[in-house]
Amino acid sequence: MRNKRKILAVGLGLYLTFTGCQENRIDFNTQVKPILNKRCISCHGGVKRNAQFSLLFRHEALDTTESGKVAIIPGHPEDSEMIRRLTAKDPEERMPYKEEPLSEEEIKILNQWIKEGAAWGDHWAYITPKTVDIPKPEALSGFSAPPESLTKNEIDFFVLKKLTEENLEPSKPADRSTLIRRVYLDIIGLPPTVDEAEIFLKDERPDSYEKVVDKLLSSKHFGEKWASWWLDMARYSDTKGYEKDVGRTIWRYRDWVINAFNNDMPFDQFTIQQLAGDLLPNPTDDQLIATAFHRNTMNNDEGGTDDEEFRVAALIDRVNTTYEVWQSTTMGCVQCHTHAYDPFVHDEYYKSMAFFNNTRDEDTPGDHPTLRLYKEEDQQKLESIKSWVEQKQGSERAFEIQQFLKTLEPKYHPHAFDQFNKGALLDNKWLGIQSGGSARIKQINLTDKTNLLINYSTGQTGGSFEIRLDRLDGEILGTGKLDRQNKTVVYPIRAVDGKHDLYFIFNNPTIPPEKAVCSVEWLAFLEDFPGKNSAEYISYRNSFLHLINTNVESVPVMIENTTDQYRTTHVFERGNWMVKGKQIEPDVPKSLNPFPKEFPRNRLGFSKWLVSPENPLTARTVVNRFWEQLFGMGLVETLEDFGTQGAVPANQELLDWLALQFMNEYQWSMKKLVKAIVMSATYQQDSRLSEELRQRDPDNRFLARGPRIRLSAEQVRDQALAVSGLLSTKMFGKSVMPYQPEGVWNSVYSGEYWKQSEGEDRYRRSVYTYIKRTSLYPAMMMFDASTREVCVSRRIRTNTPLQALVTLNDSSFVVAARHLALAMMKDHETPAEQIKSGYKRLVVRDLPQKKFEILYALYKKAMDEYSTNADATMKFTADKNGPSPQLAAMTVVANAMLNLDEVLTKE
Amino acid sequence: MAKDFHLEALKNISRRHFLRESAAGIGAVALGTFLANCGSGDNNAKKSIAAMVDPMFPKSPHFPGKAKQVIYLHMAGAPSQLELFDFKPELQKLDNQLCPPSLLEGKKFAFIRGVPRMLGPQANFKQHGQSGALISENLPHFSTVADEVSFLKGVYTDQFNHAPAQLFVHSGSPRLGRPSIGSWITYGLGSENNNLPGFVVLTSGGKTPDAGKSVWGSGFLPSIYQGVQCRSEGEPVLFLNDPEGLDRELKKGTIDAINEINKLHYDEFNDPETLTRIAQYEMAFRMQVSVPEVMNINNEPAYIHQLYGTTPGKASFANNCLLARKLVEQGVRFVQLFDWGWDSHGTSANESVDYGIKNKCRLIDRPMTALLLDLKQRGLLEETLVVWGGEFGRTPMQENREGKTMPFKGRDHHVEAFTMWMAGGGIKKGMSWGETDEIGYYPINGKVSLHDVQATILNQVGFDHEKLTYHFQGRPFRLTDVSGKVIQEIVA
Repeated sequence: MRNKRKILAVGLGLYLTFTGCQENRIDFNTQVKPILNKRCISCHGGVKRNAQFSLLFRHEALDTTESGKVAIIPGHPEDSEMIRRLTAKDPEERMPYKEEPLSEEEIKILNQWIKEGAAWGDHWAYITPKTVDIPKPEALSGFSAPPESLTKNEIDFFVLKKLTEENLEPSKPADRSTLIRRVYLDIIGLPPTVDEAEIFLKDERPDSYEKVVDKLLSSKHFGEKWASWWLDMARYSDTKGYEKDVGRTIWRYRDWVINAFNNDMPFDQFTIQQLAGDLLPNPTDDQLIATAFHRNTMNNDEGGTDDEEFRVAALIDRVNTTYEVWQSTTMGCVQCHTHAYDPFVHDEYYKSMAFFNNTRDEDTPGDHPTLRLYKEEDQQKLESIKSWVEQKQGSERAFEIQQFLKTLEPKYHPHAFDQFNKGALLDNKWLGIQSGGSARIKQINLTDKTNLLINYSTGQTGGSFEIRLDRLDGEILGTGKLDRQNKTVVYPIRAVDGKHDLYFIFNNPTIPPEKAVCSVEWLAFLEDFPGKNSAEYISYRNSFLHLINTNVESVPVMIENTTDQYRTTHVFERGNWMVKGKQIEPDVPKSLNPFPKEFPRNRLGFSKWLVSPENPLTARTVVNRFWEQLFGMGLVETLEDFGTQGAVPANQELLDWLALQFMNEYQWSMKKLVKAIVMSATYQQDSRLSEELRQRDPDNRFLARGPRIRLSAEQVRDQALAVSGLLSTKMFGKSVMPYQPEGVWNSVYSGEYWKQSEGEDRYRRSVYTYIKRTSLYPAMMMFDASTREVCVSRRIRTNTPLQALVTLNDSSFVVAARHLALAMMKDHETPAEQIKSGYKRLVVRDLPQKKFEILYALYKKAMDEYSTNADATMKFTADKNGPSPQLAAMTVVANAMLNLDEVLTKE
Repeated sequence: MAKDFHLEALKNISRRHFLRESAAGIGAVALGTFLANCGSGDNNAKKSIAAMVDPMFPKSPHFPGKAKQVIYLHMAGAPSQLELFDFKPELQKLDNQLCPPSLLEGKKFAFIRGVPRMLGPQANFKQHGQSGALISENLPHFSTVADEVSFLKGVYTDQFNHAPAQLFVHSGSPRLGRPSIGSWITYGLGSENNNLPGFVVLTSGGKTPDAGKSVWGSGFLPSIYQGVQCRSEGEPVLFLNDPEGLDRELKKGTIDAINEINKLHYDEFNDPETLTRIAQYEMAFRMQVSVPEVMNINNEPAYIHQLYGTTPGKASFANNCLLARKLVEQGVRFVQLFDWGWDSHGTSANESVDYGIKNKCRLIDRPMTALLLDLKQRGLLEETLVVWGGEFGRTPMQENREGKTMPFKGRDHHVEAFTMWMAGGGIKKGMSWGETDEIGYYPINGKVSLHDVQATILNQVGFDHEKLTYHFQGRPFRLTDVSGKVIQEIVA
C-alpha cells in the first residue's frame, strides 16, 4: 500500500512538472474550445459542415476545405485560412458570417494556439480519472483556524483547497439539532422524532454523530428514500403512458430497488442486474425483475398505432436513458446527426442501439414479455417439471422449458402476420380472420417443432383452422378446433426442416361472415415435450399446459431474442426510423474506453463495460448524483451532461478522487459513499448565508457552507405524515392511492379511476403512491415530482403559489395538521407549551420567543373565532366527540407550522 | 437580443439562479408588497427586483407583437375539414366508389385496411361575407364572422395517432417531455396579472385530451410555466378553497403568521429563497379570491349569456369561451381550450361525420362566434390571437375498420391536409390561404406545417421562433424544433 502510494505520488509529480513547463501555452479545453463552441461550431461542427469545414475533431479541422484551402495549418497562423477569415475586412468573407466579429482577445488566443501547433485536448469527462493526491494541510492557508481543525475526512481537504483558491472561509459547524434533522432527512427521508433527537443531543461521546449515521444507513427507510431518486431516472410508473395510459403491474421493480439499496448492493451489480439480469447464468426471479428498469418505457395501446414505431421509440428511450443515467451524456443528440459539440458520431448512436435492439418486447398490449410469478403450489409443479426434464434431456433443455413457463418466450405476436385475406389486425393488436380467410407468417424455423401453441379467444363454437406450408394451397401441417374459450391451446404439427412461410386459414361456417372466427393474441412453436415414451409423460405434459393457462401476477421484464428472431440494426437516416441506412454491429463510442474483447457483444457485455474501471464516466456520474442529492447541486451542476456543453466541474479533483474512492476503496458500496460525504466537515457546516457568500457564491458551488434546500415532493408529504403520527411504516407491495380530490383523472377510454385506499394505506410513504403518467398525484406534481415519462436526472426546484395552496388547503395536509394538533395537546397542558412542543416535533429545536409570540397570537385569534362558532369548529375538526375550539385553534397553528419555510426546508 | 428580456437570467434555472443577482439589495425592500406593486411601473428599483425574484414578471418580446395574449381552441379528436371548411364537390361525385390505389400506396392509416370507398361531403356549403368564404351549414353562426378570420386549408402533420399528434400541435414534438406553446409564451412574456396564473387551461367534452396533461405541461421549462387547469366543477383550481370551517379572516391570520415567522427566519439565514416563499404565499392568498371571481360567470349580463349560449355551473365549451374572454381581459397570457369528442370514425352515431358532427358543431358554433364578437366589441380582438384547429384532418375515404363496413358514416385520421383558422392579433381578415386537390387529399398550394403554425403564433406575440430557446440536455431547444416558417400570407 505504502509503496503504491509512493509510485503514484511520483507519477503525479512528473505530471505536474510536465504541465508546469507548459504553463504559458494556450490550453485547448479551457481557452480554445469555449470559443469554438460559442462562435464557430454551430456552422462548422457535427450538424453543419459549411464549406466542408468542421471543428469537431482535429483531423477534420486540419483537412482541406471546399475552397481547397486549409483552415488550420499548425504552427502557421499566418497561412491559416481560419485566421484570415476571422480578421477579413470584406463582410462577405469575415467570419462568423453576418454575426459580431470575434474579440481581439479571442483572435489572439486562436492565433497563438495555431502557432503552438493547434493541439487538440480531450474533454476531461472522456479521460479516465487519474489518481489524485489529497491536498496537504500546508497547502491550505488563510483560514482563521488551522486546517486540521476544519477537516474530518479527505473530502474536506479538497474543499478547503478550493476555498483557499477562492479566498473564502468555511462556515462553522451546524448546531447539533439542525445537523441531526439534516442527516435524517438526507439518509432516510424523514425527520427524527423528538426522542431520537434528544438522545443524540445528550450524547457527548465523540462518535455520537457517526453512530446516528450508521443507524440510519441500516434503517429500512434508507431504501425508501433513495428509491425515489433512482425511480426518477428509471422513469418508473404504474401506468403505460400515451393515450390510454392504463395500469401496468411493475411495482415489484420498485420493491427490488428499495431492497437493493437496503442490502447495499454494490453499484456495479446494481447496474448489471438492471441492464442485463436476464443474461446472467440461470437468472433468479429477482434478477429478472431488476431488468424491468428498461421495461419502464412507455407502451402505446392507442387504437391503430404501429407496434414497431413504438417499439423503436422505447428502444431509443433505452439508449438515451442508459447514456444519461450512467454516462451523463446527451446521446439523444446523436440520434439524428453527429453530435454538435461532443466527440460522438452519428453511427455510434446506432452501434449502441444495437446492444439493446434484441429484446422480445414489441409494444404489444399485453406488455410481453413478462415474468410469471406462480403461487407456491404451482411453483412446485414448475420445479418438478424442471427436474424431470433435466433427467430426461439435460439441464439446458430444462432451462428452456423453465424459461417458457416463466415468460412464455419465445413467442410470435399478430403483427408478424401479413397477406391478410378477409381479415386484419383487430385494433391493430389481435389477429382476427373471418371464415374462409387467411393470413401469412413468414420464415418460421420449424426444425424439430412439433407443437403449435395458440393463445386465442372466441365466444363462438364451430371454429377451426389449418396451417399450410409455403403456399396458401400448400401442404397441410396441422389443423385444430377453435372452441368458445380464452386460453392457450396446443396442437400437434408435422415437423419440417428449416425456415418456412406458414399460411393460417380460419373457418367457421356457422357465424355471420363479417365476424372473425377468433382473436389470436400470440403463438409459439415448441419442440416435443420430453420423455414421450415414459409413463409420466402425460401427467407432466398436462401439468405444463396447466401452468401455461394459469392466471398469475406478471411483471414486464427483458428477455433476449432467440437466433430465429434476431433483429439486425441499421442507422436511421436523420433519425427517421422509417428510413434505414447501413447495417451496423454493436459497439461503444470511440471516445470512451474500448469494448473489451472478452465481453459478449450484448447487453451483459455493455453493462460490464459501463462499470469497468476504465470507463471514464460511470463512477464520476454516480458520485456526482449522490453529491447533488445531499448538497442540492452536483460537483458538476449539469447531472445529465458532462459534455462540453455541460457545466464545468466546481471541484474536479474532488469529483475524481471520490469516483476512484467509490470504485476502489468502497467497492461500489453506495452506503459507504453516502457515509463518507455526510461524515465530512463540509457536509456538517452551518447553512446560513453570510452577506459575502450570498454575493460571491449564492449557489454554494465552492461549499463554504452547508446545504439549505427545499424538501422534495415526497419529503414534504412524508414529513407531514411522520410528525403528525399518521405515517404507516408498512413496506412494499401494490401502489396505494391516498386522498386525491374528485375529478383529477378523466382519462380517455381506459375507464380506470382513482379508488382511495383504506386504512393505513392512505398514509404510506410517498414512494408507494400510485403514479399515473398523464395525471400525476397533484400534491406531488406541484412540488416538482417527475411525471416519469422520460428519465429525469434532476428535478428543477420551483417555488410557486400552487405549492402554498397544497400545504395550506389539501385535506391530506389539513388532516395531518389536526393529528399534529392532537399530539401536541397530548404532550402538554397549556396552549403555550403545546405550541412549543409542536415546533419541536417539526424541527427538533426550541421555539424562539419571537416566533412563539406570533404563533401564540394566531392561536388566540383562532380561539376567539372557534369558541363562538361551534358550527365552524365542527366542520374544521370533524371531531366525533363534539366541538373542541382548542383542537380547532391548535389545528390552525399546526397548519401554519407545517407551512413554515424552515419546516419545508432541509437546513 | 435575448439579454434584454431576462431570458438569460432564466436559463438553467433553479430559482436560486436568478435570485443571485438580486441577492444584495433585496433585504431592504419592504416585504409583503414588493410583488403586489411591481406592475405599476412607478418605482423602477422595485420593478427590477421583482423582475428577478418573480419568474412571471412581464417581459418584452423580441419585437413588439401585435397580440398580447392568445386563446387556442383545440377540438380534440380532430374535426373533419370536409364537413366544415374544405368544400369538395368533386368528392360528392366519387361517393361510394372504391378508392384508387394511388391514394393508398405507401400510406399508413390508423384504421383503414384494404381498399375503402370514397365518401362525399356530408354537409352543404355556401359562400359567406365579403370574402366569400365557403363554410358548411353546420356552422350557421360562425358563417356570419367569416370576414374576421384567416383560414389555413393546407395544414399537414406526420402523426396519425391522437396522443402524439396533439403533443405535436402543442409542443412541436410528438413525444412527451417538451414544453407546450403556452409555457413557451409565458416563459417569454411573463404575466400581466399578479393574482392569476399566466397560462390557464379549460376543458370540455367530459374528458381531458388523449395525450393527458402533458399537452399543457412545461416540459423542461420550470414548472411555474405549466398550464394551470381551471375547472368548472369542484374547486376552480385544485386546493384553492380554504378547508371547511376556516374563514378568510383566519386564513389571512395564518398566512400573516407564516410570513412573519419566515421573515424572522430570513433575517437569520439570509436565503433569498425564503423571500420568494413569502411572496408566493401572498400570491396564493390573492389567487384564492381572484380565481373564483374570474371563474364565476353568474354575474355576466343576460345578453352575454345569450350571445355565448352559456349555462353557469356546467362544464361546457360555451362557458369556457366566455371564461377565456374574461381571463384575457384580466391579463392572462395564454388560454387553452380543449373540447373533447371530435373523433368521427363512424363507430357510433355520435362519432359520425353526419349526425355526430352536427351535434358537436351545435355546441361550439355559437360560443366561438360569440368569443370573436365579444372580443371585438371590447376592443380586445386586435390584441388577442384566436387559433382554432384539431390535431389532424380526416380522410376523403369512408373508414372501413378491419376491412369491414362501418355502421355509421365516418372518416379515418388524415395527416396530409386539414384546416385551421386564426383571427385577431394582427392576422389578416377575410383571408384563406392554401388549397387542397379536388378531393381534399393533398394540399396543392399553401401547404403549411404545424411548426409553421407555431412560428406564426410566436411571431404574432413578438417572438422570433428561432430565438426563443432554452438550453437543455446539451443543446438549445425551441418550440419549432429545427424547422418552421412564419406564414406571412395571413399576417396583416
